[in-house]
Amino acid sequence: MAEKIKRRGIARYWPRFLLVIPFLLVVWVPFYNRIEPKLGGVPFFYWYQLSAILVGAAVALTVYWLELRVSRTTERAAPDLDSSGTPGDIL
Amino acid sequence: MSLNLPATAVFVALFLFVTWVGFIAARWRKADLNLLHEWGLGGRRFGTVVTWFLLGGDLYTAYTFIAVPALVFGAGAVGFFAVPYTIMIYPVLYLVFPRLWTIAHERGHVTAADYVRERFDSRYLALAVALTGIVATMPYIALQLVGMEVVIGALGFPAGGFVGHLPLIIAFVILAAFTYTSGLRAPALIAVVKDMLIFVTIFAAIVIIPAKLGGYGAIFASVPPEKLTLEPPSGASLGSYSAYITLALGSALALFLYPHSMTGILSASSGKVIRRNAAALSAYSFVLGLIALLGFMAIAAGVDKNPAHAAGFARYGANFAVPALLLDMFPSWFVGVAFAAIAIGALVPAAIMSIACANLFTRNLYKEFLRPHCTDAEEARMAKIVSLVVKVGSVLFIVAIPHSYAIHFQLLGGIWIIQLLPPILLGLFTQRFNAHALLLGWAGGTAIGTYMAATRGFTSSVYPFEIFGLTIPGYAALYSVFVNFLIAAALTPVLDRLTRPRGRA
Repeated sequence: MAEKIKRRGIARYWPRFLLVIPFLLVVWVPFYNRIEPKLGGVPFFYWYQLSAILVGAAVALTVYWLELRVSRTTERAAPDLDSSGTPGDIL
Repeated sequence: MSLNLPATAVFVALFLFVTWVGFIAARWRKADLNLLHEWGLGGRRFGTVVTWFLLGGDLYTAYTFIAVPALVFGAGAVGFFAVPYTIMIYPVLYLVFPRLWTIAHERGHVTAADYVRERFDSRYLALAVALTGIVATMPYIALQLVGMEVVIGALGFPAGGFVGHLPLIIAFVILAAFTYTSGLRAPALIAVVKDMLIFVTIFAAIVIIPAKLGGYGAIFASVPPEKLTLEPPSGASLGSYSAYITLALGSALALFLYPHSMTGILSASSGKVIRRNAAALSAYSFVLGLIALLGFMAIAAGVDKNPAHAAGFARYGANFAVPALLLDMFPSWFVGVAFAAIAIGALVPAAIMSIACANLFTRNLYKEFLRPHCTDAEEARMAKIVSLVVKVGSVLFIVAIPHSYAIHFQLLGGIWIIQLLPPILLGLFTQRFNAHALLLGWAGGTAIGTYMAATRGFTSSVYPFEIFGLTIPGYAALYSVFVNFLIAAALTPVLDRLTRPRGRA
């Protein structure tokens, strides 16, 4: 029984494992602590980490989209809260 | 230094504009501001866009804009740890906080301590959470004042004495007044103005300054090579590598435990709003990364060699690097815009922090221990008064005590606030922890973290941890919260048996 619930959890939340990507990108400092290759005069150390921000944003967006369209986690987690229709919700 | 008139005129005009915005915010999405969740959480009605501005203004503070490039200017690559730090906060935000939001929304919680109180049925654990939050936030508010003081000084106002502090005091009286009347609506609306100004300033800075200095290649070429990358570890120490990444990870885990972040999150209108912002807020991280590079631009421009800035550097140290760079590179009127962006960038978080402290005090001290039967209106009035007291306290802090103390306290604040990780975060995902064990873990973690900082004379939060002859310099907050977690996990089975004769179902 417990096994089954657990597996359903993984089936439902699998897109969230993608969120480990941003961590992996920055966790190993020796990988990016270097000057070459430069990009437009900017050392690797700087342009790599700045690009990692963009990747992080893309991953979060992808997870959000996957949960919304594919596994429908967000709706199931809080069905009535998100469609409360409170004025000003859009902004 | 004489007063820079065009810059000051633009600065004052923008400041008056946001003052007006702060007061009219009371009428925005009008509701009864005599209820604490209306005054202190904006009625939990902020959608994706407003939350983006509010959290952006809340987390990326004026002090960040001054101190991060100052660190890059002074110490080089290590200052860039702010970038991995802001990369790591958003997965945490996405995974954890929509859940907390849902519980808080259902149960009417206004603070993290409210949630802990109910989750673990322990008013003393809640008290520990509330007190830690307040104590860690106070020096943070004081640091916002430091950021503001640097730009006011750079405008050429006379420094020192009561007259020197006057612009700051006036700014805070205005801040206190509109926070009192409008609550969280004021910083939310002002954050929109502030972020526009910040974005304009930064885009101008990353285009115009490199153009004047001969491009990014020339800027990086003029930085001493030892500042461009972290010093590789040597011998039996992980050196700067472990320090860099533990500082980033520890700061990322601590950020959303701060009361002001919690207030920003709980004021969102749904969990969806928080998830969307986990992606959208990265825009600010990118801007912060660019702002960090201003430190190198300041080196390339040689601002510290300009005799006109000698007094500023003598007074404010490396924190003067960015204001000096802006003064050298931009026409006066645009300097006014940029400085206003920084000063208003101090008002927004300072307002949210004082509201967060007021919510904590009112909910978890006043109502819990002093006046359990107070009315809703009484509760809201108390919070408004406390928000004033908090601001007076931080102004006194800055006026009366050397700035280095505020910085040391803020450093300790980071170590203290992360001790709330087990009660708040673990509580969301497991029922297993015992409240008394968590309380002891909190006490142990706080004590050890403080001890680690004390061994470094409170000037650095990087503690050289030694194991099997290997030295691993790392962020004391991360080490101490690990101890905290171990204590809580080890004592939970023991204390469960002692304190719960009924047993667990």
